[in-house]
Amino acid sequence: MFQSVYVIARNTFREVIRDRILYGLAVFGVMLVMFALALGQLSFSDHVRLTANFGFTAIHISSAILSIFIGSTLVSREIEKQTILTLLARPISRTQFILGKAMGLMGVILCVDLGLALILALILAGIDFEFSVNFGVAMFGVLIEALLLVSLTLFYGTFAKPFMTVVFSAASFLLGHWISSLDFFVEKSQSEGFRIVGGLLMRAVPNLEAFNWRSAPVYNLQVAPGEVLVALFYGLAWSLILLSATSIIFRRRDFV
Amino acid sequence: MSSSAPVLQVRGLKKTFITPFRRLRVPALKKIDFQINAGEITGFLGANGAGKTTTIKCLLELAFPDEGEITYFGQKGLSLEAKARIGFLPERPYFYEHLTGLEFLQFYGQLSGRIRGVDLRRRAEELLERVKLQHAGTRPLRGYSKGMLQRIGIAQALIHRPDFVILDEPMTGLDPDGRFEVREIIREVAKQGTAVFFSSHLLPDAEQLCRRLVIVKKGEMVFEGGTHELLDQVQRGWLIHWRSPENPNELKSETVADLVNLQVQIDAVRKRGGQIEDVTRVRASLEEIFMKIGFEDSALLKSQQGRSPEVVR
Repeated sequence: MFQSVYVIARNTFREVIRDRILYGLAVFGVMLVMFALALGQLSFSDHVRLTANFGFTAIHISSAILSIFIGSTLVSREIEKQTILTLLARPISRTQFILGKAMGLMGVILCVDLGLALILALILAGIDFEFSVNFGVAMFGVLIEALLLVSLTLFYGTFAKPFMTVVFSAASFLLGHWISSLDFFVEKSQSEGFRIVGGLLMRAVPNLEAFNWRSAPVYNLQVAPGEVLVALFYGLAWSLILLSATSIIFRRRDFV
Repeated sequence: MSSSAPVLQVRGLKKTFITPFRRLRVPALKKIDFQINAGEITGFLGANGAGKTTTIKCLLELAFPDEGEITYFGQKGLSLEAKARIGFLPERPYFYEHLTGLEFLQFYGQLSGRIRGVDLRRRAEELLERVKLQHAGTRPLRGYSKGMLQRIGIAQALIHRPDFVILDEPMTGLDPDGRFEVREIIREVAKQGTAVFFSSHLLPDAEQLCRRLVIVKKGEMVFEGGTHELLDQVQRGWLIHWRSPENPNELKSETVADLVNLQVQIDAVRKRGGQIEDVTRVRASLEEIFMKIGFEDSALLKSQQGRSPEVVR
């Protein structure tokens, strides 16, 4: 079971690593993180915080773009190029295939995010930033969110074309971060229809703000270990549900 | 698996596709029945759109049939254990372009779960040499020509020493040398006890290679049986060469339709004092038979399990 998932994950990792698109996105991420340094100079008093704040946001955005853009073609490319035929003719189940693809992409995202985190750490070290364990906690949140976004994108990818997969995933990403605001508007709304639709959307989309600890290293806030643990289970549960649904839809699909 | 159990048995396979938007039902396979025995090379013939690739996809659960029973190695359905014993080359050889030839073979070997480590590397190198790609083993597949992709595709189908190989149009895109090589590989593999099932448009290749044939037309099976049984069944008659006593330097020849006429002609030549030089059975080529099956509904050929094929009029 795990051997096949590992072999597919390794191949997916190799496939993405050798793809030029990754380098385009990675360069974009690096530039965005470097831009944090320039942006920090705009502030007279709080340039360290501004640099750190924008740096973490840059990593977060880069990670989300990577998850959604590469995730959207991860399975569709296999189908379009018909490489899936020889793959599924081997002794692997479709669930193992989906898991392997997700794990392979997560491996790439982990490497890119760690690389960007290293660049940010070097920048922050140069401007006397006070490092704490919160730096790691913030990055951990970014990675759990990436796992959830990869799962979400794979799920949409089973029934939508890559372009629509990107649209659905990006919409879910935005909605997932605005769930608290949506909750506020749903509560205040006079319209019964908006309350029903808003309520449904809040339940259909994961709350991505649950993994947002990016302010903690910037403002030296305390993050309770329990909060991280709950968020971890929340993220894993959503990913498990989404990957299971993907696998169920994918299980009976004809490749013609 | 008992030694007598067929490698593959297909009964009553049916598949209908539903078109998007208009939801029209398009029957792709109406009723397909056949079996493949160990160590045999079986050709799978049919015109474009006859249902060959759909059948193969149903066999490998890449498409799911609406009805029918598929038995591998004496056990119903396609289990992961059965899959581990099967090798497959799809119709269009699109593979992972980012992998080198060697990495590609090792990837499929690892997925099979039957071979790993040093053994796998050695087997991959051996196959690269067998398909004459040892010079390209470290090059990414994106730089391979169509013929090279076809050959590396055959190697991936054989990497784990399967008991049964399904090849969808293995000769397509190959030059005459390449086709000869592939024919030799198929023969070698079958000699080692592996059953080979391959679809092809290239009838001379099927005629040379296959002991058995399965022919489909518009989603229906029209023939299953021995290649020679089919060729014998649709024979054109006998060709007699003889010399007459009046002009012994001239070799005369005549074709007769059947055995009765053959005897009459031989008797007539001998009665006149002539000398019979040669009597040859004239058989139609597989190509001619195939054209007949493909285009003449009145001459459907059918064969029942274990019986000789016969022309159904």
